[in-house]
Amino acid sequence: MDKTTTVAFVRVEGTLVDRGVLSASAYIASNGQGLSERLLRLGQVALTAPVYTFLGQNDRVLANRLAYVAARGMSDDRLAVLGEEYFEDILKERILDSGLDLLKKAKKAGHQIVLLSEGLHEFVGPLATYLADHLKMPELVGALVCNQMEYRDHEASGRLLDPVIGGHDSGRWATKYAVEHDVDLAQSVAYGAHGPDMLLLATVGKPCAVNPDFTLRRAASQADWPIMEYTL
Amino acid sequence: MASFSINNTYAGKHVLLTGSSGFLGKVWLGMMLERVPEIGRIYLLIRKKGLRPASDRFDKMVNSSFVFKNLHEQYGEKLSAYISQRVEVVEGDVTQPNFGLNDADAARLRDKLDLIVNCAGLVDFNPDLRDALATNVNGGVYAAEFTEQCKNAALLHVSTCYVVGNRSGLIEEEVDPNYCPSGAAFDPEAEWVGMQERIEKTIAEMESVAGEEALKAEVLAKIRDRGLDATNATLIRNMTHRERQQRVKSKLSAVGEKRALELGWPNTYTYTKSLSEALMVKRHGHIRHTLFRPAIVESSLSYPFPGWNEGFNTCGPLTYLLQTWFRHIPGKQGNPFDVIPVDLVCNGITIAGAALLRGEQKPVYQCGTSDKNVLTIDRACDLVGLSHRRHLRKTGTSAFERIVLSRMDAKTVEGDYLLSVPNLRSLGRGLGSAFRSLADKVPSGASKTMNQWANATEDADKQLDVVEKMLDLFRPFIHDNRFVFECKALNSHEIEEKAFHFNPEAIDWRDYWLNVHIPGLRRWSYPAIEGKRVETYTPQHKFSFTKAHVAAPPVAVKREVG
Repeated sequence: MDKTTTVAFVRVEGTLVDRGVLSASAYIASNGQGLSERLLRLGQVALTAPVYTFLGQNDRVLANRLAYVAARGMSDDRLAVLGEEYFEDILKERILDSGLDLLKKAKKAGHQIVLLSEGLHEFVGPLATYLADHLKMPELVGALVCNQMEYRDHEASGRLLDPVIGGHDSGRWATKYAVEHDVDLAQSVAYGAHGPDMLLLATVGKPCAVNPDFTLRRAASQADWPIMEYTL
Repeated sequence: MASFSINNTYAGKHVLLTGSSGFLGKVWLGMMLERVPEIGRIYLLIRKKGLRPASDRFDKMVNSSFVFKNLHEQYGEKLSAYISQRVEVVEGDVTQPNFGLNDADAARLRDKLDLIVNCAGLVDFNPDLRDALATNVNGGVYAAEFTEQCKNAALLHVSTCYVVGNRSGLIEEEVDPNYCPSGAAFDPEAEWVGMQERIEKTIAEMESVAGEEALKAEVLAKIRDRGLDATNATLIRNMTHRERQQRVKSKLSAVGEKRALELGWPNTYTYTKSLSEALMVKRHGHIRHTLFRPAIVESSLSYPFPGWNEGFNTCGPLTYLLQTWFRHIPGKQGNPFDVIPVDLVCNGITIAGAALLRGEQKPVYQCGTSDKNVLTIDRACDLVGLSHRRHLRKTGTSAFERIVLSRMDAKTVEGDYLLSVPNLRSLGRGLGSAFRSLADKVPSGASKTMNQWANATEDADKQLDVVEKMLDLFRPFIHDNRFVFECKALNSHEIEEKAFHFNPEAIDWRDYWLNVHIPGLRRWSYPAIEGKRVETYTPQHKFSFTKAHVAAPPVAVKREVG
């Protein structure tokens, strides 16, 4: 049987919005319950930032795990409210118009859109809803794949549930998704922005590097992948 | 157990409801009228107020309360006929034997009633003991007496889960007429008589010659202080009378509170409710009856609409406090805060009432959430803070409110917390006296400022005194005791209509607090706390009870029920 479904895998950070994981974890930290808690958490994020930048190109999974330790001990209620606020106050203003154009084109081309994000579900969920409303396409996002925090008795353990999105595993994940959903990867597209997205881009027939970092730019040039550049 | 239909069980049955002007009674009445249209007749026992007859009070209630909005919108100008064909207002008073009914009404009701739902209660924590005994204790006993005189009636008495007093752990659905939380020997009959004697003794003491002399002297001093005419006999008489009444009230409130605490109840309300249960069971235990105990009744989930609330409930003042600069309340982490939406309580009453009508009732129905879907006090506090945060960020009137106040989080703390109210008060008093003593030692310009600061600390101390007293009232429920109320009995009946299911496990607490409860309190309760006018409903067609409507052709039921 011919595979008829094609997918546009879109990495949210760098392609759709110009804010990443550290911005979200700093927001979480600065809105803990009480002043002393906020200061402690912010200190933690400040210490994590250089490590995150260093690890980001090599072990993005560990980097993301470290970044979200800032949420440890917070209630799921607080993270849900902070997620809404973060979207309203920060993320909404940082949506890239050209990223929206990519989504519209992909949808018009008949691709099912799968958003991949390193963000927590509480923080990226409102974005997916907003995009569908804003572009007046209720079925815009076929799937949102993002990181999930582990909760025990409504309290965040600070540990991300597996699989952690953002690392090199995205390529393997996309292959698995294609098998499960009968997707024709050869006709599918992927937009990535970071070094760890290389495997994801390599999985599909039509890859594209968007605002790539150093590692991805080099790989894209070598593999002759198209490169797109845009800002806010 | 076989399932049964609420509509079929209540069809043609005659029910007397007391306390229909209260938060719970009103919602139950609205729900029955809307969802159980085949009910025989609902008799509402309403007190006349001054010269205002009970029926006028009912008309006003239907024409101003949002509870009846759905009915108004469904039936429009036919609502008068619809309600008149199902409701009859009878003038009476729960605090009187035979409900204070006239002989004809009493005889008619004894003959007709199938069920009495006694919702009347004084829910103030520490009211004048006379009022608490009259409504909560005598009211319950008289309801049981009247039920016993009826041909075929059963009694559903609405009490509270907190009759258990200061105790921690799983509270089972049982009743012991000699129960006393402190473990002391307890005879409800002797207690009832004892309290009445104590009231009389206290009043006699306060009205003794010596007491009167002292009171008069104080009133005269007050009159002189205010610069009024100290020779005006009428003024002296009126002020003395008012002052006496106030003092008796406050003394009797203290007497009730003291007795409740001695025996292990947190306040007069729970003590008198427990005493009422005990007397009813001891004296009239043989009648077909059940005790219905809700936990903390709060905003509705869906009926009459999400977030409906009225007056001062437990959460109102507490949550209001948490949106001021004061953000810490004493609470023990992990202690359940047993809040139950009013419409779920009404479902519970309907189920228990139906079970009574069918003769399948359990002796006690507890109606709460702590055993099936626990909400802890710390989670509730966090949710309140988050809700206020959301609200202030969007609608704060100043940058300070939107940016600073919105980010001041609500937290539960142990009593000995550094910024606890007693600590703040002693700090304030220390500062106040320091300013006063400095005022005498510094030049006159600075002295004025010092005195102003001292006055400001005194004002703050007065406000903190109010906060401290309020927190002390709630402390047994949020800090000192860990209540888990067993609520099995309500689910032992299988109900056919989904709309009447009792399913606290389905409550999504986050959604309830953020989107339903706190917005509801903000609309319906906070204005009352702030002394503002609370919104009332104005129907397009005014409801008016008339006998002509009773005889008119039956009004067709507008929608499918259940």
